[in-house]
Amino acid sequence: MSRFAQELRLFLRQRLAVPTLALLALLAAVSVAAGVTEIRRQAETIVRIQPLQAAEEAAVSAWVSRDGDAGNAAYYTFHATWDRPSALAFAALGQRDVAPYVLRVRALALESQIHEGESYNAELALPGRFDWAFVLTFLAPLILIVLLHDLISGEREAGRLQALQAAGGRAGLWTRRAGLRLGLVFVAVAAPFVAGAAVSGAAAAEVLAVLAVASLYLLFWALVCLGVGALGRSSVANGAVLAATWVVLTLVLPALAHIAINSANPVRQGVELTLAQREAVHAGWDKPKDATLTAFFRVHPEWRDTPPVTSGFHWKWYYAFQHLGDLSVADPVRAYRRGLESRDAWTARVGLVLPAVGLQTTLHRMAGTDLAAQLAYQDRIRAFHERLRRFYYPYIFNETPFREGDFAKAPRWEEGD
Amino acid sequence: MNPVLHIAANELRLMARARVAQLAIALVVMLSAIAALTAISQGRESQEIRSRFQAQADREFDGQPARHPHRMVHYGHFVFRPLPALAGFDPGVDAFTGSTLFLEGHRQNSANFGDVRQSSLLVRFGQLTPAFVIQALGPLVLIFLGFGAIARERDSGLLRLHFTQGVKAGQVVLGKAAALSVVAGLILAPALGALAWLTLVAGAAPLAVLTLAAGYAAYLLVWVLATTSISALAQSSRTALASLVAAWALSAILAPRLATDIAILAAPQPTRLETDIAIQRDLKEIGDSHNPDDPHFNAFRASVLKTYGVARVEDLPVNYRGLIAMEGERLTSSLFERYAERQFADQRRQSGMALALGLVSPTLAVRSLSMAASGTDLEGHRRFLRQAEAYRYAIVQRLNRLQAERLTFSDDSKRNSDPEAGRRVRIDPGAWRQTPDFVYRPASTTEALGAATPGLLLLGGWLALAGGLAWAASRRLERAGA
Repeated sequence: MSRFAQELRLFLRQRLAVPTLALLALLAAVSVAAGVTEIRRQAETIVRIQPLQAAEEAAVSAWVSRDGDAGNAAYYTFHATWDRPSALAFAALGQRDVAPYVLRVRALALESQIHEGESYNAELALPGRFDWAFVLTFLAPLILIVLLHDLISGEREAGRLQALQAAGGRAGLWTRRAGLRLGLVFVAVAAPFVAGAAVSGAAAAEVLAVLAVASLYLLFWALVCLGVGALGRSSVANGAVLAATWVVLTLVLPALAHIAINSANPVRQGVELTLAQREAVHAGWDKPKDATLTAFFRVHPEWRDTPPVTSGFHWKWYYAFQHLGDLSVADPVRAYRRGLESRDAWTARVGLVLPAVGLQTTLHRMAGTDLAAQLAYQDRIRAFHERLRRFYYPYIFNETPFREGDFAKAPRWEEGD
Repeated sequence: MNPVLHIAANELRLMARARVAQLAIALVVMLSAIAALTAISQGRESQEIRSRFQAQADREFDGQPARHPHRMVHYGHFVFRPLPALAGFDPGVDAFTGSTLFLEGHRQNSANFGDVRQSSLLVRFGQLTPAFVIQALGPLVLIFLGFGAIARERDSGLLRLHFTQGVKAGQVVLGKAAALSVVAGLILAPALGALAWLTLVAGAAPLAVLTLAAGYAAYLLVWVLATTSISALAQSSRTALASLVAAWALSAILAPRLATDIAILAAPQPTRLETDIAIQRDLKEIGDSHNPDDPHFNAFRASVLKTYGVARVEDLPVNYRGLIAMEGERLTSSLFERYAERQFADQRRQSGMALALGLVSPTLAVRSLSMAASGTDLEGHRRFLRQAEAYRYAIVQRLNRLQAERLTFSDDSKRNSDPEAGRRVRIDPGAWRQTPDFVYRPASTTEALGAATPGLLLLGGWLALAGGLAWAASRRLERAGA
């Protein structure tokens, strides 16, 4: 232990040591603070929309319940859904800045609603957010390089190497020194994260898992530094080689992988399916009502025996062709989703080779802020929309009046949804 | 031989012999070439897809059967944002904004299917485009090849030898900078090739291209001068390398992300959902079309009756329902416009704040200039949104006018109860074909250059600063050498 204390004293006396570590700790702290603030803002938004939403529902209810037309209730009432951030989201904000985390849907065809985007400043989204995952992935390795590139070569250049080898003797010295620097970098970057996790109420197991991943990532970079240092070149050459390695591993190769993955997995179906869905829905107006209703009753036989449609317009028929429009694009919807999932799966594979990608993939998965989380939110919206439809159908098909009290019976978005 | 040229030539000979330098230059030139090829081909491909989709949407709109005009208001139209030619050089925010917009009556939808939501998180590692290669990687190559230019010679005593031969410190700095500028030229070459191609083949505006070329040359020159100066000022090559890499990390990696967080923290934007609700609420206050006794619509009816000099809406020579639709659309559109302009102003304030950080990061300055001159900045997307909204309003009102002028009030009122009336309210599909198609007007060269000016000015400031630094480094070297 005293040997470590000795090394620590020696290390802290170096000119660059304390400022470098302090800089890293500061950047990590700022990133955690920024992440916690952003997540708190998102949580506050979710709270803030509730009374707004209730007021709008009341306004719709006020005029709809006058004549009790259930079709109007279903048409004009938007139902709010939201995707609450996880306790770890502050550390890796991921897609939450470009994908909606609050979205309203109504009982009309879903495919024209579910792909809606959020309004955000694309120029700010372009470089990405300053979150803890960014500090760990990009900046911490640079700090390790600063502290480790001259571990051995620096002693050689100062003329102390032979004396050290003779006195310390074994590799134990370098392990101790490198371990000390790695440990300090880990603490500088991990301490703010642990504080942020405590504030957000993350579970201990999650925090430990993130710390384990982070330490593996830092260990990788420490080993790279030691490996390059062991080749016996000058400190300058080591610094240059390590910085170049960093650029290639964290910037160049991921960017190349991105191009390759996106062009190997085109996802044109998104636009195609919205165009096709609109055609299908609107063609409903011009098709014989019987044909539409027959097709609908095949999916929902429970409404087959309700009174037939005789007038020029009936909500039954309207909601039937809305739903049939969604069903008509079920295949492209699945294909679109497969394309997205395939992009994600390939990224995970790239992450097995490129540590920076692997780290980002793992952190965003743990934080629930990746593409998969966005798709999971859409799945929950789909299930909720299904509940909405099934809630309105009895009123519409049995021609039951929709009164003020009925608004309160509508399905509510729940955290478990 | 002029000592400056002599020093530059020597430095270049040295670089040409060094394995690391060869490798670094080869790597960045190759990356730049790959980036240019993929960016141009991807740009062309997505432009092709978008125009194909646009043609499909136009065709489908024109091919709709005879219908009630209000059905067409809800059938709506799809428009696609065309990709400017220079997106092959710098796609800017293209992947971060949706490229297609569904236009319909009384609703304003979001632009959807941007690549950012369709990609894994890899998209956040940066996109490999010619612009990215020069912005982020170019300076790093200059740093690696130049950090030792002067420091190394001082460490080895060669510098003193120069001075005893009567070479001035300023000439050394200038010579080394000249040699490094040649490297900068090599880094820039593939991008310039791409720009030339885009001008000649894809019809990019020559003035915008020249601005881009000048901006990037200035940007790399800033790094050439900074690298040479720091190499002269630093105590050792190692310190030079460390400080230069730190400066690069701050400028190219840290500042852009910090700028984002500062801007969002300082000027947060409401979510789409809140804006939608606010618009609905405001709309209800102006005029509630669901309320039979709404004062606004009562006054509207009175003024219409007065204009036509009749007592009942049934006696109007036009279909009153169509007039109501037009009035309703006028109200919602004015709100859409007010909220959109407020949002655009918020965004502009955010972007301005982020650009202000260009004072500490030349990378932010060149990025702003690059996107603006390429027409791929957020202003380009806003221009699309604004034109699409104007087009939406125009076609919806056109359809509403058809409802007012081609349908009778009595037919329109009993279209659901009387099958004959229901047939008569469907108007001839020729009207759909006569609806003009959406034509996007991109920014004029003047507008693009205007938008590029702040970035250009910031870069000019950086160039002056770097020049000053080089001058100071020469003075200091001169004194130290004497």
